[in-house]
Amino acid sequence: MDFSMYNDAEKAHIQRIIEQKQMRDFMKFYTNLVERCFNDCINDFTSKALSSKEETCISRCSDKFLKHNERVGQRFAELNQQIMQQQQQQQQQPPFSPSSPPPQQKGGGGWFGGS
Amino acid sequence: MSYYPFGGSSQTVNQQNVAMAEQELEMVTDTFYRIVDSCYKKCIPPKYIEGDLNKGESVCIDRCVAKYFETTTKIGEALQKKGQQATPGFGV
Repeated sequence: MDFSMYNDAEKAHIQRIIEQKQMRDFMKFYTNLVERCFNDCINDFTSKALSSKEETCISRCSDKFLKHNERVGQRFAELNQQIMQQQQQQQQQPPFSPSSPPPQQKGGGGWFGGS
Repeated sequence: MSYYPFGGSSQTVNQQNVAMAEQELEMVTDTFYRIVDSCYKKCIPPKYIEGDLNKGESVCIDRCVAKYFETTTKIGEALQKKGQQATPGFGV
């Protein structure tokens, strides 16, 4: 994302928020992945140990999800970039929404404001 | 007056700016996770024959993400139109 419109003190502040968020997001990602692969792969409770079949399934499931995540990330960044460029062109004209006039929102527009 | 001593900067932190950035960040990541979730459900059958994405899955993901974006834009436009008619100031 583009935070170039903020001053240095604000950037530092935002950086701290981002770092905290990354940690939280990672935990969320981890638990989410476990839940997903557990639900998709583990359905047999005649034993308390994972069978080799289940282990294979888990490993493929997490591989696949990571790759899925990566691919979505790539497309997401590309499309976001496109929207941002369109918005920048539109910003030559009167502001986009009356309620939140972007103060000095250079490159911060888009519904995502950059990747 | 800055309570951020580093850099010897005399810049002030505008809490409103920071909150805006935080909100934007939250919106981006939230949408991203929602897309990951939706498109996984729609494109990846839970039969893990391989750990790679096959051709069909990959194509599906690309289209799914594009469609999610387009849907977001369309709904955003519709909401904005409604907002401008009803309560001026309810922009998205």
